[in-house]
Amino acid sequence: MKEIIRSQRLGEQYQKILHPSGLTILLYPMEGFKSAYALFATNYGSVDASFKTDKDEDFVTVPAGIAHFLEHKLFESEDGDAFERYAKTGANANAFTSFDKTAYLFSCTDHFKESIEILLDFVTHPYFTPQTVKKEQGIIGQEIRMYDDNPDWRVYFNLLGALYHVNPVRIDIAGTVESIAQIDADLLYRCYHTFYNLHNMTLAVAGNFDPDVVLDAADRILKPAPKQELTRKVADEPDTVRTTLVEQTLPVAIPLFQIGFKGKAGKTERENLWGKIADEVLLEIIAGDSTPLYRRLLEAELINQTFEGEAMANRDYSLTFYSGESRDPKRVRDEIATEILRLRSEGIDPQLFDRVKKAVYGRYLGAYGRPEALAGLMVTAQFADADAYEILEMLASLTLDQLNERLPVSFDVERCALSIVRS
Amino acid sequence: MSQTCVRTSIGMGIHLTTISDPKFKHNLLSINFVLPLDRDRASDNAVVPHILRMGCRNFPDITSLNTRLQELYGANLDASVYKFGGYQVLELSIRGVDNRYALEKEDITAQCAQLLAQIVLDPKLDGNGLFYETDTALQRRFIQDAIEAEINEKRSYAISQCLQTMCQGEPVAVKTYGYPETAAAITPASATAAYRNMLKNAPIEIVFTGAGDAQAAGKILADAFAGLERTPFAYQPVKLGPAPASVREKTEEMEIAQGKLVLGLRCQGLETPRQIGAARLFSALYGGTPFSKLFRNVREKLSLCYYCASRFDSATHLMLVDSGIEMANKNKAQDEILHQLECVKNGDFTDQEIAETKLLMRSSLITTTDSPSATEGWYMAQILRGQMVSPQEDADLLDTITREEIIKAANAARLDTIYFLKGKEEAQ
Repeated sequence: MKEIIRSQRLGEQYQKILHPSGLTILLYPMEGFKSAYALFATNYGSVDASFKTDKDEDFVTVPAGIAHFLEHKLFESEDGDAFERYAKTGANANAFTSFDKTAYLFSCTDHFKESIEILLDFVTHPYFTPQTVKKEQGIIGQEIRMYDDNPDWRVYFNLLGALYHVNPVRIDIAGTVESIAQIDADLLYRCYHTFYNLHNMTLAVAGNFDPDVVLDAADRILKPAPKQELTRKVADEPDTVRTTLVEQTLPVAIPLFQIGFKGKAGKTERENLWGKIADEVLLEIIAGDSTPLYRRLLEAELINQTFEGEAMANRDYSLTFYSGESRDPKRVRDEIATEILRLRSEGIDPQLFDRVKKAVYGRYLGAYGRPEALAGLMVTAQFADADAYEILEMLASLTLDQLNERLPVSFDVERCALSIVRS
Repeated sequence: MSQTCVRTSIGMGIHLTTISDPKFKHNLLSINFVLPLDRDRASDNAVVPHILRMGCRNFPDITSLNTRLQELYGANLDASVYKFGGYQVLELSIRGVDNRYALEKEDITAQCAQLLAQIVLDPKLDGNGLFYETDTALQRRFIQDAIEAEINEKRSYAISQCLQTMCQGEPVAVKTYGYPETAAAITPASATAAYRNMLKNAPIEIVFTGAGDAQAAGKILADAFAGLERTPFAYQPVKLGPAPASVREKTEEMEIAQGKLVLGLRCQGLETPRQIGAARLFSALYGGTPFSKLFRNVREKLSLCYYCASRFDSATHLMLVDSGIEMANKNKAQDEILHQLECVKNGDFTDQEIAETKLLMRSSLITTTDSPSATEGWYMAQILRGQMVSPQEDADLLDTITREEIIKAANAARLDTIYFLKGKEEAQ
């Protein structure tokens, strides 16, 4: 089943194929580009800690960090690792695990056919033994240690831990040295067979490649996956924040801070995608670098150029936060809260709204010009039941009324937490 | 379709390089001022682009300037400072969407070029012709903070400390933003003097990368820079001294969970692009890929770390190997890193390893041409290295390098410094 997705705005198009194996394939050839970028992703990340399929009697809860552990382990097979196979094609290969997805990727300029074959093959052929699991515990243990020393990472997860009581988004993606010690080959296979079902996965390719080569490789390598019903346990998360302030001591210069607002997740992933875009515009309207508040904070030396805002929304959580360096993070929080209350009572300035929308539009446009960003965008949109161009359209059709309505939901000063890392 | 790169002289020590590629959706315009790294001047130089980024005569404060950038479809105006060999490069750049995506047919590219010219050449100055005290104070504080914040990222901090130990007294050791005492001494007068020196004496490299009208953007900047009275110094790539007779060792303590081991090496006697290419291949084969000696042995075989990598710097010919490890495994990791180095020096690698390393490097090189910023970075590095080859030509050169040349490059590498950042005893 093939569908052409078009954008009048960009004058571009891409193909969406529902492959007989169950896999969704998104193909975006880009004229003039020398490299191709492929992303093979499963709709499975660190927050999927408790789940069941129609074959399971009850929910299983797995150790924290297992999605990430699985990502590391899939690179190995009985006859060597995937990096060694890619070495013969010259592809630059990697993988990552986030809160809501695990993705395997490569970028290449030659031998695309061989590389796409390797990608489809190793991700669909798991191989775990007690010895290889043990070896990985050492490597990932050092990855976790590295993040323990990283103040940006700590201030971020401390914030999530302050905003959320029980939602697994509060737990570090890689887990802990203790949690990964509980992982064994059987558990890995269970997670694999649950989430690496091709119906739960998407392959996106952008750049310089021939779509027929991808489809041909998929036909040869992928076996039809059984249909399954997958239920993820929704965390019984209260509306309130767990705590309003969290501080940690680490060797840093100026204190690092994050000020987060716990939002309300939408009913669908598509709503969350829209919500994230709306929140990005709101972040700019409240304290973006063209606002009077930003200037005031900067001139009072309460923030510096590292100050920025970010919005996140997946599955069953939605939040926004500002991060930066400050000698007085509490005052920054208070100033932002005051500005939010002012905007709530006076409404958003229509001119500022128009300008910010235009700027965010320009920023998003950048993603449509780079193979790696575009492949990522296609996957994100697909998992949210949208197409890649809808992101631009959602932004273009945002109205002032919608934002005035969303402001108190996404930026509720009663549901705010401050995370600080200082020495 | 491919990229066309043209470099022309548009004034005394001012060059315009244009890289046109119709596939890009953005245009990136950068102005780079190249200054010798100097311990006493580094902070004053570094603060200049950051003060300029605060506004210009037409847009005299950060709010009006950033409002203007939003009107230009969220164009990015960036101030940055980086090191290249013995030089400090001050860069101001603007990146905007190409005119074909303007909603009302505006000439975004020309307007971005005009704004960048105003930022660099028409700053806001007080009655005495100096930068304002308020802007200077803010950016002095930012430079001071940036210097102090070096300890935040332990991996880059450890690398920097290794370089400091290794190159003490050489210009390449001078830090990008200078030092606490030189940053504290920044005044409107000293920063303005650094600005005037930069305009008068620094070689200026203007680079346009994108799909838009490079000629028109180039002309706007050429006109803006015309009439500047200049006496630019002659730029020469730096040469570093030899490694010491005995290896330097330095250990520092900090409250951290993971130890950071850094080995600094000097690759001596590399003269030609071909010899430098051999050294790059050697470094990649040794520790620059996920199938390199270091990755396969220190990480995969011994399970000692998450990362263990080597990087060769073409500007200085220094090579750094670094790894994050358990404190107790320091000697084990160090022994294995050095053992693998000996293996490469002895030619203990296959032709297949060479071919695979070349293939990966080619792929990475060609991929740079798919991004405006990577392309700009590539050509700036070419200019500073005193050559002008495309990524394709560079990959072609690497392909012709032989096993013997790689072994020779490996044997030119001398261990200079072993640096270890470890946890405090009570923290372990």
